[in-house]
Amino acid sequence: MAVLRELVVFPSKCFRGVRSYFFSAPLFQNGSLKLNESVSKDGHALDFEQSDTKKMSKAMKSYMERAKIHDNFIKQQLHEYNIGKRHLANMMGKDPEFFTQTDVDEAIRYLFPSGLFDPRARPMMKHPDEIYPKRKAAEFDVNGRPYHSLFYTSKPNYYTLMHDLAVKFKQLDRHEDKIISRGIQNQKPTELFLFGSEWIPKQKIENVLLESLTDAQYVNLIKTFERFSQHPYSVIEKDFIMQFRRQLAAQVEIQQVPELMRDESGRPYMTYNARRKTSNATVKVIGQGTGVISINETDIHFFQREQDKKQIIFPLQFSDMLGKVDVVATVDGCGTSAQSGAIRLGISMCLRSFVNAETIERMRLAGLLSFDPRTRERKKPGQAGARKKFTWKKR
Amino acid sequence: MIRTIANRFKWNAARYFTQTCSINSDASLCQNAASLKVDQLADIKESELKEISDPLKFPDYFGVRKLFRIKDLFDARIHYGHKDGTLDPNMKPYIFGSRLGHLIFDLDKTAEMLQDALNFTAHIAYRGGIILFVSHCPQHTLTVENAAKQAGEYAHAREWDFHIFTNSEKVYNGVTRLPDLVILLSTLNPQMQEHTAVKDAAKMCIPTIGIVDSNSNPNLITYPIPGNDDSPAAVQLYCNLFRDAILLGKSKKPMEVY
Repeated sequence: MAVLRELVVFPSKCFRGVRSYFFSAPLFQNGSLKLNESVSKDGHALDFEQSDTKKMSKAMKSYMERAKIHDNFIKQQLHEYNIGKRHLANMMGKDPEFFTQTDVDEAIRYLFPSGLFDPRARPMMKHPDEIYPKRKAAEFDVNGRPYHSLFYTSKPNYYTLMHDLAVKFKQLDRHEDKIISRGIQNQKPTELFLFGSEWIPKQKIENVLLESLTDAQYVNLIKTFERFSQHPYSVIEKDFIMQFRRQLAAQVEIQQVPELMRDESGRPYMTYNARRKTSNATVKVIGQGTGVISINETDIHFFQREQDKKQIIFPLQFSDMLGKVDVVATVDGCGTSAQSGAIRLGISMCLRSFVNAETIERMRLAGLLSFDPRTRERKKPGQAGARKKFTWKKR
Repeated sequence: MIRTIANRFKWNAARYFTQTCSINSDASLCQNAASLKVDQLADIKESELKEISDPLKFPDYFGVRKLFRIKDLFDARIHYGHKDGTLDPNMKPYIFGSRLGHLIFDLDKTAEMLQDALNFTAHIAYRGGIILFVSHCPQHTLTVENAAKQAGEYAHAREWDFHIFTNSEKVYNGVTRLPDLVILLSTLNPQMQEHTAVKDAAKMCIPTIGIVDSNSNPNLITYPIPGNDDSPAAVQLYCNLFRDAILLGKSKKPMEVY
């Protein structure tokens, strides 16, 4: 075969013992294989022996060249890094022997200050292993025969993972069959609890496998994992599955509802400073009350308009606390609408401490607990107002 | 030293005679082989010894015909073809007939071609060639990959990348040694089109062995084996046979590296 022609015999020194057993006798004088002892060349060479001597397969040769170049390059980089570290230490007036990576980072930040936003764009000096990605070691031996059985798929590690999943799946099926045959059907296996974690992203898997994956391959892998973890006995392989999961970041922190405070008479109360547009309101809601509302030392008729009074009463009505609490509020700034809105927000926030979680959630959904961020829009030049334009003339 | 070599010859010579025995089915010759003595063998000419030790001189050096019987093929449902209308005209010689609209393979022909293919596989394995098992059917991926692993050879039972043979330098990041034999467990991909490996192996002068079903085209395959490629039992049988043939070939391998 044409392909076999490239390959040749491994240096005979290693196989000398074996060769001599087969070939040293005068009967066997196939001279195509060059041994250390001189063998006369009479007798035809067996078909499958190569007449070329002591070469490596082309594949191995080319790999060795590339590996040598890469190794030399990394060595050079490492050398430069170490020398650079010593220079930095001298510059910073520190001991070069005990100059750690953190010291290096600090020195770089001091000597090369950068205003760039992304940390990855700023100057850095790191060990070459951290900068240059790891390469796969030689994937085949001297004869060009790959070590890995799935080498020709060009992604052996990825497909090994898929293969292992299939094998484990079968093992779990067999385990399930065993359990059923023993008649322990009623015993439900503990469920695999995957809440609070997610599958690791494509980049992480690529780093683990040292192979790049297409999106389709990644999706396929995750689907296989999903199906695997849905097996009733998948809890047996929990460790294996959790290797490919990462914990989700902490949930959005739920606002803590403040505890009720007690005044001199022992009545519970809560205060809140609320804003709306440019008005500020300080609201105090006192429990064990009778529904007395005081705004700026007057009652609810501080507001002349119906809608403003409704705004004040709405949170109390919604949470069913209309005659049960007293409200004392001081407000100033802006106009009536803003002031009533501020007081409304203040009352709602104080009422959180008086009511149960379900009502708080209902209030949140009703929009009572949200700060209204709307402010007056500025007037723009070339226009009469914020949005109003001057008369448009066609010509 | 000479005695040990002579002993080796006795083994080889005895095998030579038993091989001829199995070809001719002649009981008397076999008896003769058993009665040969060491001193008689030592007189055998140098040229004949060389003849004996060349596996290529034998029709079945590795004894692959012992690996299966026609009944094994029948039990594994290898004689089941597809429906009448899906018959590829090139497969007509290998069809025995059809029953209730389903084609039946002629197992005698299949057995003969299977023996040739297994013999070829064993010879390639004997010479340290790289053997690649190829299949695109997802149902059989695990079977094929396991068989390849057990045989110490290689498998590609996944989606085929077009550039694997023809643009291998790009795919494998450097010069790589391509397979010396490609064994196709199914010559069609899931889209019912001819598997790219058939064409590409032919382009790269790599010999192929392929299980051709009644709807496949055997023309580009070096050693086609007409038979069922869809049943799991059939694929398992093929994998076992090829694995055993490879192991037989490797077991006879002299300790040389190619």
